Amino acid sequence: MSDLASTSNSPGPSPHPPLVRLQTPRRLFSTLEGVFHEEVFFLILSVFIGIFSGLAVVCFRLAIDWMHLALLGPLPQTHSWRLFAVPSLAGLVVAILVIHVFPGIRGSGVNQTKAALYIFNGFIPFRTAVGKFICAALAIGSGQSLGPEDPSLQIGAGIASALGRRLEISREKLRLMAPVGAAAGLAAAFNAPISAVLFVIEEVIGRWSAGILGSVVLSAVSSVVIVRWFLGSEPLFRIPVTTFKRPTELIAYAVLGIVGGLASVAFAKSIGYLRPRLRSLPRWTQYFQPALAGLLVGLIAFLGAPQIMGAGYDSMDQAMHGQFAWKVLAILAVLKILATTLSFVSGAPGGMFAPTLFIGAMLGGAVGDIERIFFPHLTGSTGTYVLVGMGVLFAGFLRVPMTSVFMVLEVSGNYEIIVPVIVANTFSYLVSRSLQTIPIFDMLTRQDGLILPSLEEDREEAILRIEDAMLPVPATILSALDYVDANALRVQDSADSIFLVRMHPSGWNTISRDQLQRLFQEGKGEHTLASTLPAQSLPSLYPDLPLDSALRYVNNYPLVPVVNRADSRKLEGVISRDSVFQKYGAQSSRS
Amino acid sequence: MSWKFPKLVPRSAPVILLILTLAAAVAFAAVSHLVSRFNANQQARGRKLYVQGLAAAGAARYDDAIAAFRAALTCDPANSQYQLSLARALRDSNDPRRLDEAESYLIALWQRAPQDANVNLALARVAARRGSIEDATRYYHNAMYGVWNSNPDFNRDKARIELIQFLLTKGVPDKAESELMALATALPPDPVSHLQAAQLFAQAQDSAGALAQYEEVLRLDPANSAAPAGAGEAAYRSGNYTTAQRYLRAAVNVIPENANSRQLLATTDIILNANPFQSHISDAERNRRITADFVQAEERLTECARRTAVNLNATPNPLASPLSTLQSRWTAVKPDLARLRSPAETALPDTIMDVVFQIERQTAAICGTPESFDLALLLISQKREAAGQ
Repeated sequence: MSDLASTSNSPGPSPHPPLVRLQTPRRLFSTLEGVFHEEVFFLILSVFIGIFSGLAVVCFRLAIDWMHLALLGPLPQTHSWRLFAVPSLAGLVVAILVIHVFPGIRGSGVNQTKAALYIFNGFIPFRTAVGKFICAALAIGSGQSLGPEDPSLQIGAGIASALGRRLEISREKLRLMAPVGAAAGLAAAFNAPISAVLFVIEEVIGRWSAGILGSVVLSAVSSVVIVRWFLGSEPLFRIPVTTFKRPTELIAYAVLGIVGGLASVAFAKSIGYLRPRLRSLPRWTQYFQPALAGLLVGLIAFLGAPQIMGAGYDSMDQAMHGQFAWKVLAILAVLKILATTLSFVSGAPGGMFAPTLFIGAMLGGAVGDIERIFFPHLTGSTGTYVLVGMGVLFAGFLRVPMTSVFMVLEVSGNYEIIVPVIVANTFSYLVSRSLQTIPIFDMLTRQDGLILPSLEEDREEAILRIEDAMLPVPATILSALDYVDANALRVQDSADSIFLVRMHPSGWNTISRDQLQRLFQEGKGEHTLASTLPAQSLPSLYPDLPLDSALRYVNNYPLVPVVNRADSRKLEGVISRDSVFQKYGAQSSRS
Repeated sequence: MSWKFPKLVPRSAPVILLILTLAAAVAFAAVSHLVSRFNANQQARGRKLYVQGLAAAGAARYDDAIAAFRAALTCDPANSQYQLSLARALRDSNDPRRLDEAESYLIALWQRAPQDANVNLALARVAARRGSIEDATRYYHNAMYGVWNSNPDFNRDKARIELIQFLLTKGVPDKAESELMALATALPPDPVSHLQAAQLFAQAQDSAGALAQYEEVLRLDPANSAAPAGAGEAAYRSGNYTTAQRYLRAAVNVIPENANSRQLLATTDIILNANPFQSHISDAERNRRITADFVQAEERLTECARRTAVNLNATPNPLASPLSTLQSRWTAVKPDLARLRSPAETALPDTIMDVVFQIERQTAAICGTPESFDLALLLISQKREAAGQ
């Protein structure tokens, strides 16, 4: 940079050739190194993570399609032996690979990514990403009732983690690589960057963090660009005309939300009940669990419901265009819950996002059609209810209310239905939360013996604030402009031992009774307090701040003033170490 | 098993980014190659399924066609030809629930290529199935003025004819007629097209337009067997009985077993012999016709009164049958017949024929459409009334 400054500032025609030619590659690199400090480098790296994850997800989707075509054919027919033979045999292969080659790739991958962030310092073995790619493609392509989104998330996280480790970035940044990659993988799988970013923040990171938001957004956007480059920008579904005309129709969507909430609870409870029981069975049975699940899923398809196999996006698309009667929609929703539960608890690697959308879509269509039978004046089309239903299950089952709303909007590209989506999702979320206290992902991690933070728990937790532990304004407040003897007189009758001093022109300080008496005895009675106290004022706090923020001061200062935000000279109260700890003590004894 | 990258990255940000860029470029190229090969395979598979679908649709096996087109689309999701064919199969499967899906495919195609005439025509047919006149008209117009890949003039006329037929089916002949006007001006010199236009004009009850088109057919193809009958009927409906007689005679000569033409010709002959207002006839002939018409009207009145059990001799009053009132008028006018020969009585033929026409109209309303002579008198009265207006 100094070269640049000296060259550009020199008057008259430069005696040197142009700058770039002057610099050797080594000097250019050293200049660039100065520019690429860790934050900037991490942001640029996020773009590369997005590119690599996007490329991986493109290959993953091709692999699933190829498996599906090779194993089941382009047009699976009911009553074909392949429907149950293929998932059973593929399940056997997947089980062998999971047990012997790729341990740790069971399930969806969301929790593993979260565990990498909070427990393993961002470490996800690259082998896990490779194993997830192969086994999930085989399981989903062969017809197991699972989706490709969560595996994509883990593949993205695995790539990011491997890249971070190889580049030897700091541990703090390495920890954040997994969620950055997860956002890229999910965005690529859904072709929906906003939903992916929100999901990673809601479910993986578990908190809003400005430090990582930029990287997550950059990786998600770059991966979506890659996917659209190769696979086109077509949405997952052909969105039908959606309508929302009368506000009274919100009641119908609220009913859909309640039904969706109940279905979410049934879905979550069935997984929560079966998963630990199957895992506790002898080890040799684990070789056959995915095969048995595949057989049962295949039998359901063989008996007349091939729509429940795989992710089921084509069937969702047809449901959106009114291709199924409400009875068929309801049956498909129930069968999909059953099939996905079987596939997921068997340990076959694959995600729950697509099945959740499927169940929600079918349930939404069924509820909408039934409501229109009883209330023919309802204007919402089947497609509208199907779309809203998708969000409902997302909110109720995965317990990601914000992601669920944005997911529907992003997938549909239609903001007309935002109000029905919000209403239905809220009801679904509330019903699910009241009947199933622990969200599905938390339940799964606890079953695996891990305790990971959850944004939902954070939201539920009552936050203590300064005002909760604040003591009233002391009766005696000393003035820094008054003399020491005058102040000493003033404190004579007070029971307190520490006094707050109002400094001039602003600020606060403290002085103890002993200090004041000592000053008096030292003959400084005619000095002002301002001249005897340190010039530096006390830190002050505001009543609405979290109580945690007082902890850094109360050990160093006996009293900390709490002032008004609009007028910092106005004292609202004081905080002391005792008052803070008493409040924390009272709260922990209550909980 | 160990999964490690080779250790080649020096701890220098620019070098790292350079290597990452190169790696991304290589990976991008590799995935491009993979995707293009996969897509090529998929497209080949899709084409095979598409051909199967076309065969099924051709045989009206729409469920099979839909399944095949859907499978073709899973292989090549962005293929607009497959989407269009699937939409058509969904539309033609006669399942109202499938119209929505057909429409959504077509709307997506339309958004990509709003000028595509095939897509607009398919959308017009969906709208026509739904019975939406406004949407169907809009899409048919889009199709007419859109881009056709081949044979644009022929396809445009075909689309307009389809729109006209739809409008006629929906009972909006006014709109159909305006489309017909536009069609007639743009038709090629082809007797088949003009014959079709003539038939549509006739359906739209525009007899003059129909006659013009039939005459054009005969001009282009004088040996055309269908045109004389059509022209004769069109002339008959428009009250041009002299022309009608000419064409109907020709039609009966060409196809003697054409009962409709024979019947129309018979009525036309009576009209031309019974009409006292025919030009180029002598006064004596006019008076003869008036007298014959007057007598025939009384017979029709008596017959209708008998069928409806009305006493024609009852004293006329406001509550009496209109037939009795007409009988009174007929009786009152009867003596005037004797004065027909007087040159001073210029208004008398009108007065007498007015009674005749009133009787024919009233009896037609009460006793139904007459036949033969009475039908001829009724038609003369209608023509006279139309000319008066």
